[in-house]
Amino acid sequence: MKKLIYISIAVLIIVILVISGSILSAKNPVPVEKNNAVQEKVMQDIKTGTGKNDKKSENLKCTTCHEGDYPTKNDPLLRACPREHMIRDFKYMDKGPDEVVIDYMKENYEGVVFSHKLHSEMSAISTGCTGCHHYNTAAPILNCSECHDKNRKREDVSVPDLKAAFHRQCMTCHKQWSGDNGCNNQCHVRKGEKQIERKTSKGSSHPQLKEPGKLVYETNYDAGKIVTFFHDEHNKLFRIDCSSCHKKDNCVKCHDKTKQQGTDGKLKVQKSLDEHHQPCMNCHKINNCDKCHKNSEMAPFNHARSTGFALKSYHSSLTCARCHGNQMPVKKLDRNCNSCHKNFTTGFNHGVTGLTLSEVHKDMDCESCHAGKDFSKPPVCSSCHDDKSYPSNSPGNKGRK
Amino acid sequence: MKNLNRRDFFKSAAAGVSMVTIGAASVKGADKRLSEDRVGVLVDTDVCVGCRHCEWACKTAHDLPTADLDNYSDKAVFKEYRRPDAGALTVVNEFDNEKNPALPVHLKIQCMHCERPACVSACIVGAFAKREDGSVVWDSDKCIGCRYCMVACPFQIPTYDYDKAIQPMIRKCDFCSDRRDKGQLPACVSICPNEALVFGKRVDLIQIAKSRIKRKSDVYVNHIYGENEVGGTSWMYIASKNFDKLKMPPLALNPAPGISETIQHGIFAYFVPPVTLYALLGLMMWVTKRRKSEKNEKLQENNEEKGVKS
Repeated sequence: MKKLIYISIAVLIIVILVISGSILSAKNPVPVEKNNAVQEKVMQDIKTGTGKNDKKSENLKCTTCHEGDYPTKNDPLLRACPREHMIRDFKYMDKGPDEVVIDYMKENYEGVVFSHKLHSEMSAISTGCTGCHHYNTAAPILNCSECHDKNRKREDVSVPDLKAAFHRQCMTCHKQWSGDNGCNNQCHVRKGEKQIERKTSKGSSHPQLKEPGKLVYETNYDAGKIVTFFHDEHNKLFRIDCSSCHKKDNCVKCHDKTKQQGTDGKLKVQKSLDEHHQPCMNCHKINNCDKCHKNSEMAPFNHARSTGFALKSYHSSLTCARCHGNQMPVKKLDRNCNSCHKNFTTGFNHGVTGLTLSEVHKDMDCESCHAGKDFSKPPVCSSCHDDKSYPSNSPGNKGRK
Repeated sequence: MKNLNRRDFFKSAAAGVSMVTIGAASVKGADKRLSEDRVGVLVDTDVCVGCRHCEWACKTAHDLPTADLDNYSDKAVFKEYRRPDAGALTVVNEFDNEKNPALPVHLKIQCMHCERPACVSACIVGAFAKREDGSVVWDSDKCIGCRYCMVACPFQIPTYDYDKAIQPMIRKCDFCSDRRDKGQLPACVSICPNEALVFGKRVDLIQIAKSRIKRKSDVYVNHIYGENEVGGTSWMYIASKNFDKLKMPPLALNPAPGISETIQHGIFAYFVPPVTLYALLGLMMWVTKRRKSEKNEKLQENNEEKGVKS
């Protein structure tokens, strides 16, 4: 009988060992080759732009967010905050909640109602979503408690706890705004106290900010009182990010009780000479006052008038940076096609210029008409024709082919 | 310790004297007694919003009379520069911020809990003690009210119950040693809404301070106040302004009690004063005794001569 018990125990142990072994082996990380393939696929997607990632992901490296080589869903191996770079990938801005109730301190306070929608609308001009959702990896949006510990007494104190994280987010602006540090009159309602009727932000939205087209400033500079700033050109034509000029702007820029309102309802801000010029000087490194200070309003930017090179057909649809680069001062270009289009002459379809060459002219060498391959000068007919000249006589048909 | 009587006091005093007389080596011994994991607080003045909740929490934790917490949002108190006193062990002051006038700088002051505390050195009865965890505490039962600590402190922190006729107390921040013995955080750290007061190991805090200064180099001045001042303090500060403009005393890097202790311990080293004293007394005794015996001998001789003659 005793023997039977011993045998059964031995069998049981063996069975347990086998089962646990199989479980452990199942938990083992995915083979390296497979992970490599996944990583390569992601990198391929990033390079070709076919993946989920947006246009900014071209600067994205795995090591931006992940510490280890093989992050998994369960163990993403995320870098500790503050990370050096962050990914500004907030594609679902419209899908954000109208209101968020922050109630992790339920025992003492009623939940704090945060008007998420209003704040996100306002943030568009300055910090964007990343102003609050800092160091967030690519979607999804992480909860604050994901990184910020709920306990103040903790081992790693380099990252603020949850209470501090919330307060720091709110107080930075609200302290400037109201000049008030009271808790109960701003956000919190203590438990058991009479409920103050709160305005709900549901359904409401901040008045839309109107982007100015042209701003005309009257200055004290006698040699040229008028400075014209084309906001729309900088924004739409030159496609400059709002934050590159408005990086320090927040709610207080408009909602500051301590500042005086002018007769036109706008806030009067005292700025030094440097402060006035700094936004322009950040990019336009010029020492010439006349460049901006004129006696009359400036005309809008016109490529043909300013440079003598009219942007036609294909050129008109290009971004400035495509030819002139991103750096200020911009790269200067001459009117020679060869400067940008290297060796374009072989198999060139002349039709793209707006002039389709006739059969006779089609196979001729470029230099026959464009002397010295200088395409900035009008073509010459005199090498073949005595009685013809461009543009009164055309070597083909106007229009594209 | 409550029943400390005259005998106990003299015992500890005698022990203290013998400790001191062991020699200059005990000066360096003071550092070794501190734990590697000793704690401190990093005050990030850029994060402090000046809510003064720490003042309220401190008073509540130390059973000092206080107004309701809601009254602390009154900013009128900032008009005058305040110092800690017997009724408030910590106070917050406001300073202008030239970079952004809408965001003034707030700075909380309390005992800095020096690594090499001058008060401990100056206290003649051993009422002050530097604990292994870094805090500097004071024992009311030993104190005789000499107020040497107040003079010695480079930050002028210890205060005195001048308005109390009976049993006036020396008062200063005790790093909430009672609370921390129970596993709680100091009251001010616990209540701070923005965690402008970061409680942790001193070594970690220095690293955190350095990384914050590096990351926001346009905001902070490159100075951790308390990292090296007077040999280092448990409470340290980082700020967007120079600390002399925040009324923090510009102090040398060597410990405040350094010179005085070196002189004292140097003189008392190897029992020099008592040995010299007793040697001197012995010499005097020997000299007088010899003179006396010579005189006696002469007298005796004279007497004997007289006796012989007579």
